[in-house]
Formats: sequence, C-alpha cells, structure tokens
Amino acid sequence: MADQNPQHRRQHFHRGRRGDRRPNERRGPGSTQSPEQTQAPRENREHVDVEQIMRDIRSRISQRHGVELTTQQIQELAARRLEAILDPRTVKPSLLEQIRRSTSTPLDTTSTPELTYSFEDTTIYDSSRGSLRFFRRLLNPLLKLFFNPNPLISALSTQARLNQAAAQREAERERRQAEWNALHYEILQRLVLEVSRTSLEAQQLTLRIEALSAKVDFAERRARSIEGTLHQARPSPRHESTPPPAQVAQAPREPGAPDVAAAPVGQEGGPGEGGRRRRRRRRGRRPQGVTPEGATIGAVAGSAVAEPRLSDGGEVSDIDEGDEDEGGPDIGDETESLDAAASPIENDGVESEAIAGSVEVTPEPEPPAPDTSLDPRVESAPAETPEPDRPPPTDPFGD
Amino acid sequence: MKLVIVVQRYGAEINGGSELHARYVAEHLSTHADVRVLTTCARDYVTWRNEWAPGEERVNGIPVERFAVVRERDTIDFRDRSSRLFGERHSIHDELGWLESQGPTSPTLMKRLSRVADDCDFVLLFSVRYSPAFYGARFAAQKAVLVPTAERESALGLSIFPPVFRGVRAIMYNSFEERALITTLSSNTHVPGVVVGVGSQIPDAVDPARARSKFGLHNPFIIYVGRIDANKGCANLFRNFIEYTAGLSRPLDLVLIGTPVLPIPEHPRIKHLGFVADQDKFDAIAGAELLVMPSPYESLSMVALEAWGLGRPVLASARCDVLVGQCVRSNAGLYYEDAREFFAALDRILCDPALAATLGRNGRAFFARHYSWPVIERKYLDMFDELRRTPVTHSMEPLPGWLARRARTCPPAADVVHALPAGAVGDSHVLERR
Repeated sequence: MADQNPQHRRQHFHRGRRGDRRPNERRGPGSTQSPEQTQAPRENREHVDVEQIMRDIRSRISQRHGVELTTQQIQELAARRLEAILDPRTVKPSLLEQIRRSTSTPLDTTSTPELTYSFEDTTIYDSSRGSLRFFRRLLNPLLKLFFNPNPLISALSTQARLNQAAAQREAERERRQAEWNALHYEILQRLVLEVSRTSLEAQQLTLRIEALSAKVDFAERRARSIEGTLHQARPSPRHESTPPPAQVAQAPREPGAPDVAAAPVGQEGGPGEGGRRRRRRRRGRRPQGVTPEGATIGAVAGSAVAEPRLSDGGEVSDIDEGDEDEGGPDIGDETESLDAAASPIENDGVESEAIAGSVEVTPEPEPPAPDTSLDPRVESAPAETPEPDRPPPTDPFGD
Repeated sequence: MKLVIVVQRYGAEINGGSELHARYVAEHLSTHADVRVLTTCARDYVTWRNEWAPGEERVNGIPVERFAVVRERDTIDFRDRSSRLFGERHSIHDELGWLESQGPTSPTLMKRLSRVADDCDFVLLFSVRYSPAFYGARFAAQKAVLVPTAERESALGLSIFPPVFRGVRAIMYNSFEERALITTLSSNTHVPGVVVGVGSQIPDAVDPARARSKFGLHNPFIIYVGRIDANKGCANLFRNFIEYTAGLSRPLDLVLIGTPVLPIPEHPRIKHLGFVADQDKFDAIAGAELLVMPSPYESLSMVALEAWGLGRPVLASARCDVLVGQCVRSNAGLYYEDAREFFAALDRILCDPALAATLGRNGRAFFARHYSWPVIERKYLDMFDELRRTPVTHSMEPLPGWLARRARTCPPAADVVHALPAGAVGDSHVLERR
C-alpha cells in the first residue's frame, strides 16, 4: 500500500477559522468538493450554535478549575523552565548538556586506570624477542660496568605505583562528581517541577477565590434583596405614594408569577431606596472575556437568573426584569422557556407538523411540571443555570 | 433494475448497525427494483454459528438466500491475530488469514454471487471488514457498490482494504467523516461516491406516556439505546451518570435499552428495559430528556438519527468524529470529552428547556432534510443512474502473488489509522480532538 503520510503527521480535514481557505474546502489527498459537501452547511439552527455552546462550556470549566494539565504536561512545562534557568548564555554553554549526559549515562565503575604496569628489576631488559632478551642478559654485567641501573629501576617502579594510586584517586573523584551532578540535576528538576505545580495550583486557587468572592457578592446582594422584600411587606407611609400603574407594568412578568415578587420591584423603584434595592443586572449574559472576574461573576449571577423557572415562585420577581438583557447568546425568552419546561413534547409536536409533518407525538396527559429542585453542578452552571441546592460535589479528579 | 445485496447477516430480528442498515435499504429499494439478498446462516456476529437453515426464504417480502458458514470464529486465534496485525509489521498473507479468522467465511455464497452478478445491474455490499463484502467486491468489482460502514478503528489500517476502495464501482458513505477517512487512506477520488447514510422507520405516531406507564418511568430520564458494551462507552457512561447524580436531589434516571454485554451497575437511578419492541423504543426516546450516545466508534449512529427524527436532543461522545460532526452540522446536540464536560453539557440541556427544544427542532429538521427515506432512496437511485450512464474507467487491483503476499511489508494497522486525519468535518472549521 502506498504510504499516504510518509511524515506520519497527523493531518486535519480543514483549516481553522484563521485559514485562508473557504470553509468547505478539504485538505489532504482526495479533497474534492462534492455536491453534498456543499449541501452540508449548517442546517436551520434557530439561534443555536452548538460550537459556541461547547466553547462556553469549556471556557467555564477551565475558569472554574484552571487549566487541567497532565503529569506529562507539567513535566514538559518544568523542563522548559529548567531550560530557562540553565540559560546557556549565562551559564557555561555545555554545562546543561554535560549534566544531562552525566545523568543519563551510567557510571563506569569497572574501568581501571591504564597505568597499571609494574616495573620490576628485569623490566628494562625485557623484549618480545627471545634472542634479544638472551643477549641483553648476557651483556648485563658489561652494562653494569658503565652505570648502576638499580636506582633507575627503583625510581621507575615507584613512579608506576604513584601513577596507579593517582589514577585510582582521580577515578574515584570523577565518580563522586558524577553522582553529585546527577543528584543536583535531579533535585533541580524536582524543584522546578514542584514550583511549576505550585504555581498552577496557586493559579487555580486564585480563580477559586475569585469565584467565591463573586458568590459572596451575589449572596450579599440577594440578602439585601430579601431584606428589602421583607421590609416592603410592612405597611409604610411611603407606600401611599404608589407609582403610577404604567411604571408597575414596565417590569414584565410571567402570567403565573406570584404577585409577591412583582410588587417590590415596582414599589422600590423610588429614589429613596435606590441604594439598597438595586435592580439586578443579568450579568450572566454579559459577553465573556472582559475580565476573568467578570466572567466568573457573570456565571454565578447567571445561575440565579434561571432560578425562578425552577424554584418556588416567590423569587420570580427577583430575577428577570426583561429589559436587562445585554445581548450575548440568548436562547428564547422566558415565556418560551417556561412553555418548553412545562411540556417539551407538546412543544415539539407543533414543530413536527411544521417541519417534518410525519411524526405525530401524542401529548402527555400530565406534562412534566417545571422542576423545582434542579441543581446542576456549580462547575458547569451556564448563564441560565440555577444555583445548586446541594453541597458542591466532590471532584472526581481529585481537584 | 435488478439489485443483489450482500451482507454478513440478515433477519428481521437482527438489529446490528450495518445489518439493519442493509435490511432497511433492501426493503426501501424493493419498491424501485428487484432486490435479492445473499447472506449467511449466521445469527451471532461473534461466533458466526449457522443458526438458520441454508436456502431461500422471504423476510418482509424480500427474497433472501442463506449460505452456510464453513467455520465458527475461534476468538482466541482472532484476538492474537488482531493484536499482531495491529501492532507489528506483517504480510498480506497475515491479513487474509485475519479476515478468514474473523469470518464469516462462506465459499458457497461467493460462488452464488459470481453467478448472479452477471444477471443483475448492481451488487450492494455492506461492511467491507467482513469476508462477504471484501471478496464480493473482488468477485463482482464492475458492479460492486460498496457501503463500507467503516469506523476509525485499527482494522481499517490493514493493507488489503485500500485496493477494494479503489476498485469498486461506487461507494455509498455513511458520513462526511467516513468519506474523508477512506479517501485519505486509499486515494480513491476516481471512484464515484456519495454520503447517504440511512434513514429510520420512525412510526407515524409515538406516545411517550405509553412508554412511561408500561415501563414505570415516572421520573424524567435520559436514554441510551444500543448494545450495552464497554466498547460502546457504556462503562464511562455509568461512571459519569452515577457521579453526576451523586448529590442530585432532582429525580433523573438513566434508561437503557439493549442487550447487555457489560454488567449494569445496581443503582436506583439506572433502569434497564432490555430488548424492547420498536414502538416501545420510539415511545421511550420521545419521552426522554435527551439521548446519550457515549460510543467513540460509530460510522453512523442510527439511534441518534432516530432521536433527532423524534425531536430529541443528543449528547454524544466527542471522541467520535462522526457524532461530533453531525451535532455541529445539525446544531442538534452537544458533546463531551470527559466527565466534567458530560456534567456541564447535561446540565446545559436539562436546565434550559428552551435550548433542548431548539436542539430537538434542529434535529428534526436535519433528519427530515438528509435522512428521510425519500431522500435516501433518491440518492441511491441517482447513483445507479449515474453509474449506468458512465462507463467503467477503473478496475480492481489483483491480490499480490504467492511470494509478494508473504513479504512482511505491511505497517502496523494501528499506526496507519493513527496517522490519518482526525476531527469532525464541520462547515467552518475542524473540531480538533483535544
């Protein structure tokens, strides 16, 4: 079979958005454009972009938990930091490579010094040729007539012993140095790894603190709101100056929403309590990415926005004032949400006739009531997600 | 027009993906052509034991000829061969041995195919990884229209398959991702091909209340339909769902429909209905909050299409390019890579009924536009018309000779597949696998 990918590179079918190709153009061998490929573009999406939703979900997860790195990724990060620490421009250029080599190559403790020869009395007369050895031995007395070779032999013999001892000492010193190098490198590597891990944890903790402070902020505002509601329930002289009905009607409410919610909104719009009873803005719908804090707060605030749909009606007024929508991905309005919550099947049945016209879905006799105890996880709460009503779940990943 | 359909198993009660696909196509094309099915006597896709009698019978009005399988699968031998071929260099001879070990091998079926191929217009072959389709494509290459049902799995990297993709008359793909995979693998751009998929026989009326009362489904539930198997991602699904509902006060159940291969955890929120009738299945899907599809390997998820056809959103595994591509193109489902994304995506759909309804509507429109039977039938018929009009310009490469067949020149199949492009085919950009 012909090798279609000799470099064994992992290709991708399309360029990213920043690519210069048109969206439907395919890359790689056999990337022809067929009619159905051009028919494939996004279907009738009705204000929903799945990719955008997934991006939001992933960004929220990463905001909540920081960037999740595997051990290998942390090690790679630490290695890069170590490179920066052992910058060749500031340290001996070959040092890093030398240390690496010394840590990676095992120590050779079996090698012996080369200068291990012995120098005996007969060494100076030795030869590989037997006849030469014989004549040297024969003429040895004659040689001793000219000078005494014994001191020379003794000196050379001593030097050989000294050489051997020095070589052994040097080998031992190098071995110890190599061990120290390996130890130092290992310690350094572990230190950098720990520093990297600690900095990541610190980053995560910072994000968590931001999220918690946003929660505290939200809780305070909510407490003030409840306080105001209770205060408003008492008869007060100020209530005599009731605002005109038109002002009361400005706050859109669900038809079935309890009155206890709506009344304070209209009554508290007066300038006297403006400081305490601020209108809550739907910060969850604020475009993400302004600041991490803003995004986190938006998520938390957003979780309260959806609460009235799913919790008791007493808080409906505290939630959605309708005119506060600041844009962003908006999936239908509140009425649509409630209708869909009340009977999603019935809702789909209408669409069935409109689109397919083939499947008739029998409406259920008792459509599922809006859930009053829906408690999604905090970590994944979307902008329209209710506040959790349970303790935060334990993180399955040991976070 | 005469059509012959070759598939490894065939029967009204067989619900395997490609087998059901073949039956649906046979039954729908029978209104336009004279359709005949050639298959084996096997009912079980693991053992290939001959459980039906050889001979001809009619299944839902379609004439079906069954042929005996010569040898049941030796699972240990097949496992060993698979691990060797997927992980080591090997020869074509090894691969052919693997194909035979996988089964179902039926020489009489091939003889019959070589006889009837002359009399028919086209031969539709399902699932290239099985012996009937592989050898069928070689016996009747000039008339072979292949429905590969190929998934991104190691077997696709075997060297015996690219010549088949290059040599058949045409290919009916299940998805854009499958086509991209096969085209890249085999450089078969000269072979006519179209992304068709398969429709589903969704009943005219579904009644969620009926399923609720019949199976005692009083709580809101999400549903999984299919073989309950670790290979289908069910183990992960159980783990994620149990973790998700650990502190959840709101009632939410996981309903499972299908045959269990994996032990199902004893959990008050997990309800296994077993194998149910089609009407019950559709009723249950229609009553579910969403359909969850955790499988990382799907060439086309029929049950996901059925959920969309019923207007229900889908939560799919992001590890399956095909499902992610369909979610993105339809805007009718979310996907998850890990547990956190599973929780978040599930929350997103469950907590926002408006979003769920919109996803469902998009899914229904997507299904109606691409996977309704008139659309599917039209694509098949158009392809047949085109093939009749255009002359054959290519032929099937023969298998190597005795010596070349034994040369260990084939790379490990897993490496081949790993080097292939990954990611869903979207209309704007690739969703890279993280």
